[in-house]
Amino acid sequence: MPKNILVCLTYFIVFAMSIMTLKGQIVVAQEKSSQSSNAVLLNDSSFDEEGGDEDEFEDEDGFDDEFEDEFSASEKEIFDPLSGYNRVMTGFNDVFYFYVLDPVSRGYRWVLPSMVRRGVKNFFHNLLFPLRFANNALQLKAKNAGEELLRFSINSTIGILGLWDPAKDLFGFESHEEDFGQTLGYYGVGGGFHVVIPFLGPSNLRDMFSLYPDIQMDPANYVENRPYNFPKQEGEYLGVSRQTLQAVNMKLLKTVNNESLRIGQYENLKKDAIELYPFLRDVYEQNRAKQIRE
Amino acid sequence: MQTTKKIIFNVLFVSIFSFSFGTSLLVADEVSAIREMTKEKVDHVISTLKDNNLTKEEKKEGILQTIDGLFDFSLMARLSLGKKYWKKLSIEGRKEFTELFVERLKQSYLDKLDLYTDEEVVVDEAKLIKKKRVEVLTYLVSKDDKMEMTYKLYKTKKNTWMVYDVDVLGVSIVQTYRSQFSGVLKNESLEKLIERLRSSDELES
Repeated sequence: MPKNILVCLTYFIVFAMSIMTLKGQIVVAQEKSSQSSNAVLLNDSSFDEEGGDEDEFEDEDGFDDEFEDEFSASEKEIFDPLSGYNRVMTGFNDVFYFYVLDPVSRGYRWVLPSMVRRGVKNFFHNLLFPLRFANNALQLKAKNAGEELLRFSINSTIGILGLWDPAKDLFGFESHEEDFGQTLGYYGVGGGFHVVIPFLGPSNLRDMFSLYPDIQMDPANYVENRPYNFPKQEGEYLGVSRQTLQAVNMKLLKTVNNESLRIGQYENLKKDAIELYPFLRDVYEQNRAKQIRE
Repeated sequence: MQTTKKIIFNVLFVSIFSFSFGTSLLVADEVSAIREMTKEKVDHVISTLKDNNLTKEEKKEGILQTIDGLFDFSLMARLSLGKKYWKKLSIEGRKEFTELFVERLKQSYLDKLDLYTDEEVVVDEAKLIKKKRVEVLTYLVSKDDKMEMTYKLYKTKKNTWMVYDVDVLGVSIVQTYRSQFSGVLKNESLEKLIERLRSSDELES
């Protein structure tokens, strides 16, 4: 007899507990969805949601407020002292893209098969190893720095001077893009105001100054005089040393080559713009913030 | 008596424990179901794109049909304009704005798919952000690139889950439109904005 009572009691307690927890959940859920009085919970099918389409255009304060918090953070005024210049430069870069970079890249794509272009891209990417390694290390991302080191060793040897990417294809080591601007951001340096750089595009104060160390770490900028270089690098051409010209040539090749692998992407991105400059600024800053977060 | 107390205590303890465990399992189940749903829809879009038997028009039709159930376009329109301006619009104005904006979003999505070549979509994990928010992380993987796309879903009043925003490489579509709209609306009226949306040729400034 007492055994039965115990069993009954157990059932009762379990039952009561579950009801109580459920109830608690409902209360919590209702509080969370604040004023949205007609929130349907726990599959309460007795609630009929007919005519919902009409409601869409009525005010639904409680419902939207949750979202408002999510997106209103950026409503505050953006400090943009260079906006006049930036707008003009954005227009210039846009024209430059459509009349120079894009047609040249299309021609380049037409001439060279994608395998070659991908090889060239890999080659330049591999060369930038010091930059990635240093900045991963500066951000104390030991694992990523180690992987970069492995990637460089593998790709420079098995991948033949970095033309192929066996580190990713065979060993599964992904590249970890980091630059000095990201390192500064990682340590809490804010972006500062937005600056659009001629030819290079959107940037900000922090990233613009970071270009200097970044360029210093790019081996493509250290072309040396060697007897077998072609074209020869001694002397000057139009007042510019041939060595500088060579570095510029490398940059051009890199730019055109990479662009040839993503033809049409900029045009596509632009379709979401209502006004080009604020759009590109926003895209840049959001993307940078994400890169820094990672 | 002592043992009875003990038993009751144990039962209590076990039931609390198992129940909380059970609910967390339930939640995990729901999240993975959302992941599956997103995966299914995205896969369907990709297979439609790859289907060579379909004409371009048929592909568009099929894709739009697939994503219609996944994306809450009118909510996206509302969020992109922002509450402040949305409230100022009349019901007709809201309808028109929503219509124009949704048309634009869909077109932009379809245009992006035009660039599609050999990429694969990898649906990674789904994360429960808040009680009624789930983010599904996906990657668009091509031969030499990997683009991160996050679908952000919320639980609707009808207990289904729908996408209210997409992050492409950390850039939120709604956020981007929102700051553009608020920028434009500082100098122009709402009517003008709708006018600009209507004649989308003017949009390329």
